[in-house]
Parts: sequence; C-alpha cells; structure tokens
Amino acid sequence: MLEEVAGTKVFNGERSREGYRLNRMAMSLTEAANRAAFVADETGYARRMGLDDTEIDLVRRRDWKAMIDAGGSIYLLIKIAGALGVPLYEVGAQTAGMTLEQFMAKRKGR
Amino acid sequence: MGRIVGGVGSSHAPSFGPVYDKGQQKEPMWAPLFDGYVPVRAWLEALRPDLFIVVYNDHANQFFFNAYPTLALGAADVYPQADEGWGKRDLPDMRGDAAFSWHLARSLVEDEFDPTICQEMAVDHGVMSFMPMLTDTRWPVPIVPLAVNVIQHPVPTARRLYKLGAALRHAIESYPQDIRVVVMGTGGLSHQLQGTRFGFVNQDWDNEFLDRLESDPEPLTALSHHDWMERGGTEGIEMINWLPMRSALGPKVKRVARTYHAPMITGYGLLALEPA
Repeated sequence: MLEEVAGTKVFNGERSREGYRLNRMAMSLTEAANRAAFVADETGYARRMGLDDTEIDLVRRRDWKAMIDAGGSIYLLIKIAGALGVPLYEVGAQTAGMTLEQFMAKRKGR
Repeated sequence: MGRIVGGVGSSHAPSFGPVYDKGQQKEPMWAPLFDGYVPVRAWLEALRPDLFIVVYNDHANQFFFNAYPTLALGAADVYPQADEGWGKRDLPDMRGDAAFSWHLARSLVEDEFDPTICQEMAVDHGVMSFMPMLTDTRWPVPIVPLAVNVIQHPVPTARRLYKLGAALRHAIESYPQDIRVVVMGTGGLSHQLQGTRFGFVNQDWDNEFLDRLESDPEPLTALSHHDWMERGGTEGIEMINWLPMRSALGPKVKRVARTYHAPMITGYGLLALEPA
C-alpha cells in the first residue's frame, strides 16, 4: 500500500478507516442546515455524529495537522474549515507546521 | 456514427468560481490564465459539438467514503450543482444526455471497464469551475460526466486511464447517431493542499507533462502513483485525469491552444487539441 510521498502521508484505505467518523461529520456539512447546527453547537453536533472526545477536541482546537494525522482527508477537512470560516491557506499552512503569516512570507520569498 | 472533433485538458479549482462570478478574469493575477480560455471557447463554438464527455474527479461532494466508486458514469438528463460546504453558485443545473450515457455504459462494460452508473449525480467544481469559461452558462452542450477516484488510494493507474480513452473512442464511434463529441479531462496540475509540502508547485514538471501529453503520451503511463505525486504533489495525482482525453484523440494531434499559469498554490494548465 502506498503510504508516503516526500514526507506526506497518502490518504489510503488505512487512513480512511481511521478518520471515517471525522470525515463523515465533515461530509454532513455539505447541507446548509447541518452547517448551521454545527456552528451553533460544535461539540453537541460532533458528538451526535459519533466523534469521540479526542476527535471533538481536535476540532475545538482547530488542530488541522492533528486531524490529518487522525485520518482526516483534506477534501473533507476544508468543509469543517469552511463552516467555521477558516481559509484553506490557514489550514494548509498549519498542516505544514507554519502560521498563515509564515507561509505567505515563505511564498513571497520564493 | 459519432466522431471526436476535439479534446480539452483543463485544471479545475474552487477559486475559479469567485473569480468568474465577480468578473475578475482581467485582474493581473488571473488574466494570464483566463485569457487563454477565450480563443478555446471560440474554437469550441466553431466545432459545433453535440456532447462533452468530461473525465473529472469528485472531491467528496457527490460521493463519500461509505461507497466511493473508482469509476462513476453519469446517466442522467440533468446534473445539479453540488453544495461543497459553502453554498452553491448562481448557475443553472447542467444538462446531460442519458441516451448516450447508456450507450457508453454498454460499450465500456463490453470493453471491460465497469463504472458505477449514476442516474442521479451532482457535479462539483471538478466540472463547474472551468466550464463557464468554455461555454455559455445556459449549457447549450450536454455533458456526460465520468468521475475517477483520485482522492482515496488505491486509485486507478495511469495506464488504466489511458486505456479508458481508447474505450471512450470506441463507444463514440459505435454510436448510431452522427454526433460530434469533445472529450475533456480535468484536474491538477501540480499542487499539494496539506503536509510539509503544502503549496508545492512544480512548473517544470507541469510543462513537461503538457509537452509529453501532446507529442508522446504513451510513456507517461509507465509512471507510478508515487512518481506522479513526488513530481506534482499529493493532490497533483489528478493530472492522470487528462490521459483518457489524450488517448481518445488517437496517436496524432494538432495543438489548438495551450496556456500555463501558476499564480498561487496550483499550476493551472489548459490544452486544446484536435485529432490530426
């Protein structure tokens, strides 16, 4: 099974299995009513969607890197970020171990 | 019989949506890309196509990992826009051609490709982000969407998708009606949306890919998934979606247009070809 490319874990079956509940919750946010319910009560919504305490905490802390490590697919995580008003660049930069400002400064210097 | 009259390879990106919707195509950051679509759209109109076959990928919008199809064929007369998590754009549903889709389904299965056949299918930015630059948004030309899994590995090999192009051609040429078909492939080019290489763009590889796809595509099928992602980023694996378009056109092609622009965290490409 393809596991890693240039230091990045590949989203494969093992990771999909591990992150299933997190990704499923994210998928539910493709409906406007669910987005509203999630934003109104993140923890309650996540619990109703079957997330465990550790996963709920990752979402609460906006720890995108840890969500990736827990099997989150970037295509699903950006739905959580979207509902919470967090831009893609901020999510991506954090998964690379940077703040958005650091990432933008690095890009500028490229 | 049906006939392939053209092929288009294009990137797709959520960011195209707001640029188009807000009329920012002429802004300096975007003009080098969006200007490239203008002559391609004129060329497409002159071709008078009856159908666009669009090989693309869904981004966990129509499909989820409860049942993620490796290959999914739309067989509907209408394809609504998916809500990807931030609401829909103000665009009408896309039109389909279910009769052709069922012909394609039969022909593909006879040729040993076995797609999931979808009579209800929403399409996401994988189709709708670039399409407004190529045609009128009243969608005068129906589409047949063909979704490839490139987001949950294992994904199909480059060789498999190259062979799919030949099967598309066979299906088009065995259609009883004289229809004119444009085959599209969309994804990429290089980009990586997460991990230590977030923001990775490889302009050399993107341009090499465009060169080779046009002039000598078959050796690209020898590349492994690891090769594609090392060169083009983990999400750059989408580039393999262009291979069916190219192989459907046959060995010799004539280039109509080519554009490349990498203003942000993705290499954007556009290639228009005619069978020679």
